[in-house]
Amino acid sequence: MTSVLASVKGPEIDWAAFSPLLGLFGGALIVLMVGLSSPRVIRAHGVPALTIAAFGATIGLLIWEWNEQVSLIQDALILDRLTILITLLVCVAGIASTLLAWREQAAREIAHGEFFSLLLIAAGGMVVLAASRNLVTTFVGLELLSLPLYILCASRLRSERSLESGLKYLIVGSVGSATLLYGFAMLYGATGETDYAGILTQVVKEGLMGDALFLAAIGMTIVGLAFKASLAPFHQWTPDVYEGAPTPVTAFMSVATKAAALGVIVRLFFTALLPGVDDWRPAWIAIAVISILVGNVGALGQRSLKRMLAFSSIAQAGYLLVGVVVVTELGAEAVVLYLVVYLLANLAAFAVITVRERETGSDAIGSLRGLGARSPILAGAMTLAMLSLAGIPATAGFIGKFRLIEAAADGGYTWLGIVIVVGSMISLAYYLPVVAAMWRPDTEPGVDPATGRAVLAGGAQEAEAERGGWEATLVAAVMGAAILVFGIVPQPLFELVGDVLKGFGTG
Amino acid sequence: MLSTYAPAIVFVVLGTIIGIAFTVLNGVLGTSRPSPAKLDPYESGMASEIKQGFRFGISFYLVAMLFLLFDIEVLFLYPIAVQLRAFGTFALVETIVFIGLLTVALIYVWRRGALTWK
Repeated sequence: MTSVLASVKGPEIDWAAFSPLLGLFGGALIVLMVGLSSPRVIRAHGVPALTIAAFGATIGLLIWEWNEQVSLIQDALILDRLTILITLLVCVAGIASTLLAWREQAAREIAHGEFFSLLLIAAGGMVVLAASRNLVTTFVGLELLSLPLYILCASRLRSERSLESGLKYLIVGSVGSATLLYGFAMLYGATGETDYAGILTQVVKEGLMGDALFLAAIGMTIVGLAFKASLAPFHQWTPDVYEGAPTPVTAFMSVATKAAALGVIVRLFFTALLPGVDDWRPAWIAIAVISILVGNVGALGQRSLKRMLAFSSIAQAGYLLVGVVVVTELGAEAVVLYLVVYLLANLAAFAVITVRERETGSDAIGSLRGLGARSPILAGAMTLAMLSLAGIPATAGFIGKFRLIEAAADGGYTWLGIVIVVGSMISLAYYLPVVAAMWRPDTEPGVDPATGRAVLAGGAQEAEAERGGWEATLVAAVMGAAILVFGIVPQPLFELVGDVLKGFGTG
Repeated sequence: MLSTYAPAIVFVVLGTIIGIAFTVLNGVLGTSRPSPAKLDPYESGMASEIKQGFRFGISFYLVAMLFLLFDIEVLFLYPIAVQLRAFGTFALVETIVFIGLLTVALIYVWRRGALTWK
């Protein structure tokens, strides 16, 4: 007994490659502790500043490790280009959400330290998820990202909607997790391995393609992941949760969770389950098509911007899946490229919604009316975001969709490209009214269109601008500018996501 | 193949027999002097009297929850404590990191005032 134990050694850890994760989790601890300090100014401003510093440090570490491919902790995690890119997206989303949450009521209510450290822990979980090469690590990562998000959704303690959103997310998310875990258990039962590489070897060696247990495992894994990535027909929680959660949290969830989920889908299905491609491809194709249709049709006629964007995110997830089902390097590149442009557009839109919500107390499309005249920066950013999500040329969204359709055609699934185009055409019917609402002149001057109350001349609007916060405007402006720049000069984007599969499956 | 499961089957059979035997023997041999308190579920000989609208402080829940959290996390220390010499330096460092994290949590709970009885 003792002789066996004596041979137990700690796994070799490449600390340099591990450092981005440590940046996030260490940041979470520091932020939590600083959140305990008594001066109010440190809690309200020092804590978010430290959060941004932690995300920034992580981005720095990523750039330092840019060309590395290292297998970590006995192949439980891997740092390769895909991990680095997903982590980068998560960190950018984290910085933007922190800026949006700077004067958020929710952060005050559950204490700043908790709010922002939960944000950092969720981001860390996303990185673990995207980097994992082992079923156990994958599940740990998934829970690490889900649990903080459940709390963050319910963080407006005095809002019934927010609590409902948190509870709904908790219950549906748990069902998703349980399904996924059951799938993983069967996968382990079928192959006797938890390691992605080991599963791959076993599936090929035992010829498990088409085996009943293996099929059941893949099926439950797909369902579990589809729950998390909010893909139709497992999407019902999305609109309610997005609407009820504090807007900065919604922004983070919609962008970062999707990036992490797509990251793990690409890694799991491109490596471990690759031999079973004919088994799982039809399932993902069906989910992609249903998501595109349900998302786009569901968004029509929504009056709440957050609900509309929730349905839109379902459709966007459907587009993203097209890059997965072709199972080519071009497909993987298109997925990551689309994740980038989706991030830019969604963050810009949610930044504008955050500002308007603080000014008018509502996230209805009507709350944007007349914004073009009052705040051209916000209205411009929102316009660019909507056009980009719809995929209009000269915005980054066009480049993203172009790449996805190119990947679909290249992989022999031209008809899926056509589905994307049809979906985008439907989507114009709900994106464009938002743009129209902002730029149409106010019909009744002096009356706030969102609330119907009389607006006091001059002073009230200045007070409004004060309440909205310049940080949120900054996020909207930066993201909007990026949409435009990358829409016209997409070359840097192509270079960023090029070689996304570099180092994929080493170790 | 089946012989592998033989101990389990023996266990189930024995468990069933003994369980039934004691229940039946109790009824046959024991004296029966019922009182309302004894007929209550979970009686333990005490009159269980819970009035509707019974209230007790929410602090109970908080403290119980914190106790569970720390208790279960400390549980992980036992196996390491037993075999620390065999595991060596790596396990020691891991344990110290683990306790450090627990301490951070404890400090947080304390400073947030969750340990003060309200």
